[in-house]
Amino acid sequence: MASIRPRPISLRALHAASTATRPTCRHFLSRFPSASPLSRKAPITRNHSTSSVSPDELSHFSALASSWWDPMGPSRILHLMNPLRHEFIASCLADSPPPTAETTSAGTSTAANLHYMDIGCGGGIFAESLARTIPLDPSAPAPTATRAASMTAIDPSTMLIQVAREHARMDPTVDAHLRSGKFKYLNTTLEDVLASTSTSGSSESTPSTGEPLHPQFDMVTLFEVIEHIDPTTTTPQAFLSNCLRALKPGGWLIGSTISRTFPSFLLNQVIAEAPWPIGVVPRGTHEWSKFVNPPELHAWAQEGLMRAADTATSRGGPSALEGMRWKCMGTIYVPGLGWKMVPGSESWGNYFWAVKKGV
Amino acid sequence: MRPISRAALRSYVCPSCRHGIGAGRRRFGTKTDQATDIYDVVCVGGGPAGLGLLAALRASPVTSKLKVALIESQDLNKARSWNMDSTQFSNRVSSLTPSSKAFLQKIGAWEHLDTQRVQDYQEMQVWDGESGSRISFDWSMETPAFEDPRTVATMTENANLVRGLLGRIAASGDENLTLFSNTTVAGIENGTDLQTEGPDLSAWPVLSIKPTGAAAETQPSSRIAARLLVGADGINSPVRSFADIPTHGWDYNRHGIVATLSLADPDTPPFPANMRTAYQRFLPALGGPIALLPLPNNNATLVWSTTPENAAYLKSLPTPAFLAMVNAAFRLSMTDLKYMVGMAQPASEATSHEDELSWRLQHTPIPAHIPPFATGVQTGTVASFPLRFRHAAQYISPRVALVGDAAHVIHPLAGQGLNLGLADVAALSQTIEYAVSHGMDIGDLLTLERYSSERYLTNAKIGGACDLLHKMYNIPGQGPVTWARSLGLDVIDKLPFVKSFLMKNAEGY
Repeated sequence: MASIRPRPISLRALHAASTATRPTCRHFLSRFPSASPLSRKAPITRNHSTSSVSPDELSHFSALASSWWDPMGPSRILHLMNPLRHEFIASCLADSPPPTAETTSAGTSTAANLHYMDIGCGGGIFAESLARTIPLDPSAPAPTATRAASMTAIDPSTMLIQVAREHARMDPTVDAHLRSGKFKYLNTTLEDVLASTSTSGSSESTPSTGEPLHPQFDMVTLFEVIEHIDPTTTTPQAFLSNCLRALKPGGWLIGSTISRTFPSFLLNQVIAEAPWPIGVVPRGTHEWSKFVNPPELHAWAQEGLMRAADTATSRGGPSALEGMRWKCMGTIYVPGLGWKMVPGSESWGNYFWAVKKGV
Repeated sequence: MRPISRAALRSYVCPSCRHGIGAGRRRFGTKTDQATDIYDVVCVGGGPAGLGLLAALRASPVTSKLKVALIESQDLNKARSWNMDSTQFSNRVSSLTPSSKAFLQKIGAWEHLDTQRVQDYQEMQVWDGESGSRISFDWSMETPAFEDPRTVATMTENANLVRGLLGRIAASGDENLTLFSNTTVAGIENGTDLQTEGPDLSAWPVLSIKPTGAAAETQPSSRIAARLLVGADGINSPVRSFADIPTHGWDYNRHGIVATLSLADPDTPPFPANMRTAYQRFLPALGGPIALLPLPNNNATLVWSTTPENAAYLKSLPTPAFLAMVNAAFRLSMTDLKYMVGMAQPASEATSHEDELSWRLQHTPIPAHIPPFATGVQTGTVASFPLRFRHAAQYISPRVALVGDAAHVIHPLAGQGLNLGLADVAALSQTIEYAVSHGMDIGDLLTLERYSSERYLTNAKIGGACDLLHKMYNIPGQGPVTWARSLGLDVIDKLPFVKSFLMKNAEGY
């Protein structure tokens, strides 16, 4: 039985990460021709000035690739948190559903018509679980409150995307969605997704979007990502603006992160990364200085909404904030009980947050 | 751990162990041409646990869309059309705790049971045949004096329960539901990676099933793959063997004798009139307790745990002698009973068991709360079965979960076996419900560990408590153990909060 002992990142693993070739994903690329130039453009050690991806973080998580889906492995704590992500999304949708959802659902009926993008999907823990809830029959009512119609998951690590695709094939339902294109894994960065669609207007757009020039999603998710972006090449502010650009009016940007406070330092740096058997995440997973406090995030989201409203001819003003909604919910891991939503615990450590773009 | 392909194993086994396991991997390349049906839940075993799981899944709006199958080697149609005269009762009867009954009500199965054939009881009298120490279990300390007494448990024939569950499943329609009746599992193996044509099923259990009996020759076996394979297939579970889960335990070297008896009218009518009592007397000299549990119309079911020799002797007795032994077992002293199970058989002209009993009763002080005399045995209901203790090392494995007797077999002295099985099923169906509503794979270990962590320790605790009681009450004579257990019983009987704690534990609250 594998233990939850954090594994030291071996040189071999780093080497594997940096020399990862992509023969195994060739059949996938041929299925999505537009994805292939993107992946070729995105070697994993890139240090492109527009990328939000930090090379250190990339190598850290690529080294965890082989154990990503091990239920007792270093990613166990993330697996345990996953059901709460679904619950938080469901609570956001219950508060205020995106307009597409409202118009097509008469009364209480719930059609599965929300298009999701998961940024920084890693090995696909959340993306795969959401893809599993997409009904095989599109006209069927949504089986869950998350009401997914499609899922596009992106990650800059070739290895992790490979792990994610390989794991998704082990479930016939998810495999069917991968084959039909309702669920896709793209080895790319958010910047490239935005760039490719705004310039070429290619088939990258989701099946049902009305505007071919922009990848427009009803829901964009950003779980445990914002604290891992590269501060030397970009800012969380710029990254959030890009996330909001990918969002349709009325859509939700939903994420989770950790606040930068003394209790969170104690919990996430000292205790969580302590050696086995106390620690639950591998050493070096988090950098406390990159953690984000809820008020900062709220401010960035407001600024991001205004910037996302910028066009070539006009600047987005405070009008971009009309109809905006902000939601925040702390969550705590209790050993033996698992993750629990605890309102008001945002400043202690982990929390979920959500921004709704005004219509 | 069962052999799973390397890619699938990566997730579950540390790298150094993986090497050795992967080496023995088998390939099933020739089988790919045969069509494999894919199911979400495949349950092997159509007993109360397996059918309970299916009924629970069909009853919940979240899980009712799952594609489910059940495989049973017996004829489910016979179980569905089971019918017995209202004066007759099957000898396979279980005592359902209120939480089991609540579960059956929640999934809508209770209304499919013939409630004329079930019997609540509100009080339980338990005493030590050696010392006479006594404890009575009822809810009087929890309920106000003027309310009707609360039910301790409900006696239900297993056949009635199975028929009710089948009725509940039939009422849910046949969409996404397949019942493979008269069908056996010929083999279980891992599936294959379909490479470019389809999903990778190399960690999925694939069952080869074929019909039993005459149809076996003509019909070919078919193959079904299971996202979650549930072993509700009893003590020798093939599903457990496939998952390579070891099981630990021992045989008690005891047999349980069962019979359906009719009783004489009680000396004093019960008050209130619908009040019924279950009786259990520990007989350390004979190897276990004798219990008499009420059935409707002054009938009762007997469960007598004793040594295999005594069991064989009792079963060989003619009906009047058998009844005399049952009545003696609730009344006479250990010495008298030991003499009576040693009497020559057939009885000599001089003394029969009946005479022996009536003569000895004149010289025995009779305690207050004892059952009325048993006056008749329903023909063909005297049977016996061996008593065993088993506990599987785990309840779960990737895409496999064990419930009921496949996971645990315990001593029947507290009547908890079926209740534990139904509690397993309730927990597993809730786990599946949670998984489906949260996008989790219902066969994944991260899902199944929720079920196992809810049930494993509880079952171990109750199984262990029954084992301990069995051992404590198998020490005959007036020694320190007898003294200690009698003191314990007397003390608990006088401490309502301890008693109520114990009863709540036994009920599964």
